[in-house]
Amino acid sequence: MKLFTKYNRIAITTSVIIFMAGSFAFYLTLRYVMIRQLDDVLRTERAEILQYLNEHHELPEMLNTKDQWSVVRRTAHPLERMVFTTEKGINPHEHGKEWLRKIQFTLQVHDEPYEISIYKSQEGTDDMIKLIILIAIVMIALILLAGNLINRTLLKKLWQPFYHTIDTIKEYQLTQDKALRLPGTGVEEFTLLNTSVSNMTERAQHEYQVLKEFTGNAAHEMQTPLAVIATHTDALMQDEQLLHRHAASIASIEQSVGKLAKLNQSLLLLAKIEHGRFELNQEVRWDELLQQKLNEWQELITGQNLKVSLSIVPVATVFHEHLADIVISNLLNNSIRYNIAGGHIAIILNHEGFSIANTSSLPALDTSKLFNRFFRQSGTGPDGNGLGLSIIKQVCELAHHRITYQYTHQQHVFTIFFSNSDRPSDF
Amino acid sequence: MKILIIEDEPSLNKSMVDYLTQQQYLCESVTRYADALEKIERHNYDCIVLDIMLPGGNGLQLLEQLKANKSADGVIIISARNELDDKITGIQLGADDYLTKPFHLPELSVRIAAIIRRKNQQGNNQMQFQEICIDIKGKTVTVNNDPLILTRKEYELLLYFVINKNRILSKNAIAEHLWGDDMDIADNHDFIYTHIKNLRRKMIQAGTGDYIRSVYGMGYKFSVQ
Repeated sequence: MKLFTKYNRIAITTSVIIFMAGSFAFYLTLRYVMIRQLDDVLRTERAEILQYLNEHHELPEMLNTKDQWSVVRRTAHPLERMVFTTEKGINPHEHGKEWLRKIQFTLQVHDEPYEISIYKSQEGTDDMIKLIILIAIVMIALILLAGNLINRTLLKKLWQPFYHTIDTIKEYQLTQDKALRLPGTGVEEFTLLNTSVSNMTERAQHEYQVLKEFTGNAAHEMQTPLAVIATHTDALMQDEQLLHRHAASIASIEQSVGKLAKLNQSLLLLAKIEHGRFELNQEVRWDELLQQKLNEWQELITGQNLKVSLSIVPVATVFHEHLADIVISNLLNNSIRYNIAGGHIAIILNHEGFSIANTSSLPALDTSKLFNRFFRQSGTGPDGNGLGLSIIKQVCELAHHRITYQYTHQQHVFTIFFSNSDRPSDF
Repeated sequence: MKILIIEDEPSLNKSMVDYLTQQQYLCESVTRYADALEKIERHNYDCIVLDIMLPGGNGLQLLEQLKANKSADGVIIISARNELDDKITGIQLGADDYLTKPFHLPELSVRIAAIIRRKNQQGNNQMQFQEICIDIKGKTVTVNNDPLILTRKEYELLLYFVINKNRILSKNAIAEHLWGDDMDIADNHDFIYTHIKNLRRKMIQAGTGDYIRSVYGMGYKFSVQ
């Protein structure tokens, strides 16, 4: 539920309850005041009658109107005090019953008790109360409506910076090499939010930077010791007597150094891509690159009796030669390495993208982990360092290309869709 | 042939010196920037093996110095940084090649040989091993003046063997030389075997001695047995 809706629910319910209670109280007060006013009039009426009686020792002639009339009769039970009552009665000047206010008192005229009742119609008063209440209700409704509308538009405007912040956070990626910059808003709370978020991302960015540099530096610092091991192994190998006795050990050292070196290079490459060290500003002819790689590895392909079917059109995009080389190499490499003898590789290159499908003894790959670093599908063997696909993924992200994996017809299919922003040029 | 090795890691420096010395190069080596500067001011070398990161200075500055001296020395950069920028800057500053650490010594040797050959334009572009003659310019091979037809990879393999003759060359080093290091060849030693078998067969058919020998399953050695 939106904050505004929630707020509205509470606010409207409370206002309606308060206004209803208020209206009821208002009605009661108003009625009380009005009746008191009527009573005053009736009391004055009585006072006038008393005054007349004192002066003239007889009752005055009663003037009856439709608003006020009197009834005089002898009584056997004189009232001690005057009594006010409200009752429903018949107005002799009107049709039907209506609410009446009545004063009743007893007077001694020529030593005989007379009971005098003066009636006053409450109709006018009731009408007035009704009108006042109606006006009040309409006013309340108007106030609520206006309040709601104002809140709606005003709040929308007031919350604008908040939504702006949220949108910016949504877009934010740690791998982008810049901290989040959020503008001041003029509203203390939002400015607080923005500065907090900015500070947080700045800290995260810093930590991330440190981590990235660490990976880069660590990999980097390992290169020279690795070179020492590699060259000394090369030198050791030259001693045939020694090699005769320790061939297996030396071979494992040599291979492991090679693997470590490759792993290091992959990590360095990933770090560099993350550091944004590659600018995509070279025109890369994908078809030529692909052809060149295929030629280079021709022996490896024919060695496994692989059938390669090509569907290639000339395609050039703005990319980075080295990175394009890595992408093509890695994909092609995988398609050869994990293929079966006498298997098949199908390569399609067009303006939409690039896809490579190959047969393999491996089952469908786990798509959720496929592009993770150091992920290795079970059954792939100990070679390969599990970074090849994550490098491809990283390069694709850099170029805003989309890479997908599918397993169809017992074939592993990797497809790279060129992004729309830099549609490949035609020839 | 005189080679100067500029590398601050003494152990690495020594193994390069040892390897190249055995290949009949005359090697001098320094580990510090100042020493390197002094050497290049005073002497000429056929090839300089240059590490970029040196205590007391940057290898690229040495390159600039060489350029300023109008030196004709060949330069191969060896760097722990596989930085494209360094590579490009290095090449722009007149370096002839760039090798990323770690590397195989036979690879370094092949690269140095190529640089020296290029620098030495008037010299012969032929390499002789017993009855085998390799014309590097034309990329052709003759055995006793009869042409030996090889595929490109076989040719590269033969050249690699001849330059690193009498050395045991690991399968990994050979594979990396032939297919570059983006090809993971751990499984693919069979390919090397096939290649070497083919090359050996062609050579023997052409009338050469049997020079290629497998060494304890580890690698191969090219030598007169």
